[in-house]
Amino acid sequence: MFKDISLGKYYETDSVIHKADPRIKFVLYIVYVVAIFTVRTIPGLIALTGVTLLMFIAAKIPPSVMWSSVKPVVPIAVFIFIINILSIRSGKILWEWGMIKVTDESLFKAFLMMMRLLFLIVITSILLTLTTTPLKISDALEKLFGPLKKIRVPVHEVAMMMSIALRFIPTLTEEAQKIMKAQVSRGADFDTGSFVRRLKGYVTVIIPLFVSSFKRADELATAMDARCYRGGEGRTKLNPLRIVPADILTGFLLLAGAAVIFIIR
Amino acid sequence: MTAVKADNIYFSYRSYSEEDDRPESVSKALDGLSIEIGKGEYVAVLGPNGSGKSTLAKLIDVLGMPDEGKLAVLGYDSKDRDHFWDIRENCAYVFQNPDNQLIGTIVEEDVAFGPENLGVPLPELRERVDRALEYVGLKDLAKRQTATLSGGQKQKLAVAGALAMEPEILILDESTSMLDPQSREELLEIVGKINREKKTTVINITHDMNEAAGCDRAFVIENGKVTLSGRPYEIFADRKAASGSGLMCPVYVDLAFEIAALAGKESLDPDTIINEETCSDFLSDLLLNISASCEVPAPVSADDPARDVILSVRNLDHTYENSEEKVLDDFSLDIMRGEILAVVGRSGCGKTTLISHLNGILKPSSGDVVFFTPDKRELHAGNKKDLRELRKHVGLLFQYPEYQLFEETIYKDIGYGLKVLDIDEKDRDKLIRQAADAAGFPQEMLDRSPFEMSGGRKRRAAIAGVLVMKPDVLVLDEPASGLDPRGRIEMFSMLGQLKAAGTTVVLVSHNMDEAQRYADRICIIRDGKAAVTGRPGDIFENEGKARSLGLAMPSLFVFSEMIQKKTAAALPGILWEKHGRTPADEAAAMVRSIIRYRREHDV
Repeated sequence: MFKDISLGKYYETDSVIHKADPRIKFVLYIVYVVAIFTVRTIPGLIALTGVTLLMFIAAKIPPSVMWSSVKPVVPIAVFIFIINILSIRSGKILWEWGMIKVTDESLFKAFLMMMRLLFLIVITSILLTLTTTPLKISDALEKLFGPLKKIRVPVHEVAMMMSIALRFIPTLTEEAQKIMKAQVSRGADFDTGSFVRRLKGYVTVIIPLFVSSFKRADELATAMDARCYRGGEGRTKLNPLRIVPADILTGFLLLAGAAVIFIIR
Repeated sequence: MTAVKADNIYFSYRSYSEEDDRPESVSKALDGLSIEIGKGEYVAVLGPNGSGKSTLAKLIDVLGMPDEGKLAVLGYDSKDRDHFWDIRENCAYVFQNPDNQLIGTIVEEDVAFGPENLGVPLPELRERVDRALEYVGLKDLAKRQTATLSGGQKQKLAVAGALAMEPEILILDESTSMLDPQSREELLEIVGKINREKKTTVINITHDMNEAAGCDRAFVIENGKVTLSGRPYEIFADRKAASGSGLMCPVYVDLAFEIAALAGKESLDPDTIINEETCSDFLSDLLLNISASCEVPAPVSADDPARDVILSVRNLDHTYENSEEKVLDDFSLDIMRGEILAVVGRSGCGKTTLISHLNGILKPSSGDVVFFTPDKRELHAGNKKDLRELRKHVGLLFQYPEYQLFEETIYKDIGYGLKVLDIDEKDRDKLIRQAADAAGFPQEMLDRSPFEMSGGRKRRAAIAGVLVMKPDVLVLDEPASGLDPRGRIEMFSMLGQLKAAGTTVVLVSHNMDEAQRYADRICIIRDGKAAVTGRPGDIFENEGKARSLGLAMPSLFVFSEMIQKKTAAALPGILWEKHGRTPADEAAAMVRSIIRYRREHDV
């Protein structure tokens, strides 16, 4: 279960999308999320697919890497599809069996909902998680929300916490797997047996994981102290965010893609 | 000029009650400690776990302040608020666990974290990062994710992060203890270079006496005080005090004392054991002049090797997901009933993958693992029906098993496996207590929470949690890692007792010295295969043979062959006895060889 977590799994390569300024990517990401949810026709879906495909090619992400971030969501997408089919009852009946009715409208809406979710994941991966290091995402957020500092919102602190959380996801995933193996060899059961038995199995992983996370947090705080961390005031940056003409062009193209989706819907 | 000067400092850790903030318990960490470290010196700080070494290091980096006494760092009083940052900005600290000190997701971002905090402006910041990465040899990995680095690379990265701050003092707090020997050596080489070239003061807190031997000076801290100090060899020469402080001397010093004892000398002049070179000169002289009437113990007879196979690994292949390279490639190995087998190999050679197959945690994709029960039945790891029974017979402990404890009390945690098997409470109690005894865990502490005891105790509790199933084979991954010298010796003596009680022990290690000393047989993994398997005395019979097998000799044998070469110049044609397991055996073997030579040649 733990190894499927792909959040924070940055894929390193050299592409236009990778190089683009994270602030532009983040703002456009929001635009695309809105765009995904405005799509409601087949041509709209085709436009969305086309634009996403172009972005995917531009990002130079191998299909297998893309698939590994979509895979965990597939069961949820299927679940949404089924729920929608069962709950939407208007339209022309295509197939009927007792209480279950499948109509042309329910089929289309369920499909649309499922596709929206899948596209949401794909676009999040292309624009953010796979192409932007967590540190850059948090840098972008810090800059974008920077004005909120004036009203005493701890923007820097939140951004720092976020990037540390992302940094530790692979470490904790690995640790969870290790503890799981250790408990299996002591007789814990994660795959077979009753639900209660399996749940009890997971307790043997989650408690040690919590304990070690606290220990890690404590040690990390000391290490940050030792490296003279004292908040955002007066800090410089190795890779400061800088918008170059190429970024503006990328941003403009991405915006054009979103516009196409908005127009066709 | 002094870098650090502590004058009678005291420090206690206090825990406060949650309800009313009143101090609940006080534990003394430093108890009137005084120390002086000169600028540019390279010092080792030794001593058992919990003696106050790390506390001292943290006070030096003003991560805390002494309760009493005066501590001056780089000439500034550590309590002087005006100079707080003057001290901290000039001290860099490398911690033990590589994972818990890396902040950046990308290598270069992590190196930059320190100087960014110092507010170093841009062109210089970039230069510092590049220089630091170049210095530790990670330049090519600058854009890699930190999570994908090996342990050794992560620790080099931590050193680069320290270096980028351009500190005057570099503190290593057991920074090499989680590394394999090769990474350790590489890291120490970098640190030595920093000390020589940049004149940085280095304070290395360590349990490794070979590391200490290379330092300018060493301090031993016990119960919050400095109890011994001086040049490392001066400390080793004072054998009584050193062993009283729980230190293990480098192997060459141990061998020197054993040979001297046979020659009738009880103490050694520190100047004779400065390093292996001076020491081997001295010992070869001593051996040549040894009196024919000295009393030498008779050779230790080796145990009977004829035993039957208990666990057989047959033609195992394994490839990781998303990888082409085979970790295990047609791997075969027979484990004999009642032996201690050490599986040795470099990091990433497939040791952990191998042991995960031994009790079926990893299912063999091709090949098989077969366990032979006492009543001669076969259990196959590839067979799902056999798995449950197999896991009862073959107990497995990964590295740092103390991290798997989860129950509120040690008692319950040890009994977890029995509870899963629905064994009734009365039998359970008996088994839990027996297991605690076997693992050397004190009975009276069974009701305590695992989260309030020392690392060594927790490890014993975790081992008891596997022993409670009464396994016939116990498999352990680096059982002694992170323990202090005394803890290591106790761990291996516990494994010896398990063997004596009839348990077969398989231990994975990257420490060839310990494998040579404590194992009956050694299996060396290379290129996914069991490259060499045999008794330590056979595979390391002499340097030529070891080299032809492509092995690095254990340090005891390396040093004794150094002495033998020097001695043989005066005794042409001498035949040396086979190497012994311990320094005492080895010393006796050498002396016996010389006495026999004299008898045969009438000299």
